[in-house]
Amino acid sequence: MAAPFVIAGNDLRQRVRDRSAIVLGVIAPLVIAALMSFAFRGTETFHYTLGVVDADRGPVAAALTQVLEDPGLRRFVSVKHLPSAAAATAAIRAKTIQAGLAIPAGFSAASTGSHPIDLQVLTSVDNSVAGTITSSIAASFAAQLNADRLSVATAGAAGIPADQAARLEAASATLRIPEQAVQRSIGAHQLKAVSYYSPAMAIFFLLFTVSFTARSFFVDRANGMIERMLAAPVRPYEILAGKALSVFVFGIVSLTIIAVVTSAAFGANWGNPAAAAALCLAMVISVVCVTALVIGVARTQRQAEGFASIAVFGLALLGGNFIFLSTSPPIMRHLALLTPNGWALRGFTDLATKGGGLGTVMVPVGAILVCSLVVGATAVLLARRALTT
Amino acid sequence: MNAIAIMRISLLRIARDRTALFFMVLLPVLVILIIGASVRGFGTFRVGVVDLGAGNAGRQLITALAHAPNIAVMSYTTVEAADTAVARSEVNTAVVLPAGMDAAVRRGRNVQIGVIAEQTNTTQQAAATAVDAVIAKHGGTVQAAAFTTAQAGGSFDHNLALASSLAPHVARVAVQSRQADASATVLPEGFSYSAPTMLVLFVFLNALAGGAAMIETRRLGMYERMAAAPVRARTIIAGETLTYATIALLQASLIIFVGAVVFGVSWGNPLAAVVLVVVWALVGAGAGMLAGTLFRTPEQATAIGPAVGIAFGMLGGCMWPLAVVSSTMRQVGHVTPHAWAVDAWTSLLSRGGTLSTIAGPLLILAGFACAFLTLATVRLRRILA
Repeated sequence: MAAPFVIAGNDLRQRVRDRSAIVLGVIAPLVIAALMSFAFRGTETFHYTLGVVDADRGPVAAALTQVLEDPGLRRFVSVKHLPSAAAATAAIRAKTIQAGLAIPAGFSAASTGSHPIDLQVLTSVDNSVAGTITSSIAASFAAQLNADRLSVATAGAAGIPADQAARLEAASATLRIPEQAVQRSIGAHQLKAVSYYSPAMAIFFLLFTVSFTARSFFVDRANGMIERMLAAPVRPYEILAGKALSVFVFGIVSLTIIAVVTSAAFGANWGNPAAAAALCLAMVISVVCVTALVIGVARTQRQAEGFASIAVFGLALLGGNFIFLSTSPPIMRHLALLTPNGWALRGFTDLATKGGGLGTVMVPVGAILVCSLVVGATAVLLARRALTT
Repeated sequence: MNAIAIMRISLLRIARDRTALFFMVLLPVLVILIIGASVRGFGTFRVGVVDLGAGNAGRQLITALAHAPNIAVMSYTTVEAADTAVARSEVNTAVVLPAGMDAAVRRGRNVQIGVIAEQTNTTQQAAATAVDAVIAKHGGTVQAAAFTTAQAGGSFDHNLALASSLAPHVARVAVQSRQADASATVLPEGFSYSAPTMLVLFVFLNALAGGAAMIETRRLGMYERMAAAPVRARTIIAGETLTYATIALLQASLIIFVGAVVFGVSWGNPLAAVVLVVVWALVGAGAGMLAGTLFRTPEQATAIGPAVGIAFGMLGGCMWPLAVVSSTMRQVGHVTPHAWAVDAWTSLLSRGGTLSTIAGPLLILAGFACAFLTLATVRLRRILA
């Protein structure tokens, strides 16, 4: 058997025996993906209960209530009728409703008079989104009433005599605001937490391989293993190739197990298998290159552990393995694209939301391979020193 | 005295380890910075805007969106870029302002403004509702100008200017908001969220990973050498406990200092915060010593320690507020000490809590600390014996 295969086989055997490889490569990412899946199960669709207090019982209030119960809104708002504003306040404090809307008595009658009555939205400090949406729905409804009032006032100011006010009011009641929002779908799937964090955690724990392999290289060197191997008919690059091969095999096996298990058990969407495989392959190559660079740069085992830790956590932090990158400030999304794992997560995000095949991940895969080429070339330049000093 | 000497030597060994210093000093600060910058805007919708040449009317609408409360506007140059941003959830929805919008409005025509949102995505639908309200409000002035032109004559531009000047003075139906509950059950957003949660996470995480140092001490036979000297087992245990508690306290103090000075975090009632930090340091010390006595190799400690620490952090509300998960997961989360610590910090930072209001979580945390330290002591005694 060729030397690199023997070295890789030996490395993998040692790591499996120590159990740390199984913990980091399989158990930890799966446990965390499971936690993600359970934590967010049933909470990723936004929905809240709105308490409506109709103290007016007039036609305008009835129209507003009808808007709130529109089938289009029913997907994220459930209306619960309550007898008073005090009852709505109590319900918010008891967390049985997340926001309230009080339509005061006399609202309908006053809506066309000179002293209109305001609508009251009751909000919860723990659910500001529900308050925002309720205010928006109420404001959209009030916008038509206000537009009609402004139309009459402007026409009056433009010279229509005051005795025609009733006619103007009647005419304005049939108007519709001339700017309308028209929704358009792009056919994208919602990005679920488990679909983002399954590859994110798999890659995060894959990065730990850098630390383990670099450490094992320096332990081997300290024990005289490298010198003994070099004394045999083994070229220096075959030793490095063996170490790289062990990282490669470990990475591929780990990512494959996590992708299969999280897809089957937790419903994670890794996207098209061929495209996901291309991203995984590119990511593993980049981890091999980072490992080689750490071995090339470090002079001692302690240094290797330090550099590896900084590389692992630096890449994970910048690349978005800990945070949901999409909701981060734009500067962090740009910084993520300086890392191979940031590109990989962008690829997985696009596969889970937009779908598609290899074409979707062509740019991310290309970017990861370019990163790997630069890091790998630097590592090769430094490799001889690491093997011979 | 011997216990202090053991602690001093252990601390010196750790201070010389630059990797440990990276994890204890630099990493928590970086994570607080990154998570603090990301965990904000729960009540704000991110709205993308594409202006395809809408003219003055389009610019007015963009200004109205930018000034709307709870909407953060991000500009995109093409519809494709906005589509991608919506698909990736970088924005909750996007508004496409059509070419010639201004001219259409002036001619009194209806204008359709594209809003990108999936029917099945409730978050996007909710954001689209917020956008609808701004569009409707903006369109009111246009409606008044068109109506006046039809009823009284004159140019549209003149009537639009008239309607705009009258709008602030015409009595209108307003929407008033009032907060119904007095205090929050979650931590504030931004750094006030990330600093206390990362304190909880990293003190525990580093303590677990620090178990590797105790394993090294075991491997090097240093305990046997100490036992050969006239040093009692309980002195060695006291020395190790002091070491771990000191490291945890130093790290917590650093996070509190950086949080307050650099990120402007207000840590609440000082006495309650100090007691909470000390009790959490003891929980961390117990967990670290337990890791040092449970794991067989340093590799196991550095592999399993972070995995357990991160998992406990997730369960306990360090990575996301437990308010956003299901009630079952909230109950499961309170099996970890992390959830009780985050509850106590929430009380201090969000509700002006005092020592008496966090007495419950403190007692439970003290129970965790006692359990961890007792188990670790029993195991270390066995090792020393």
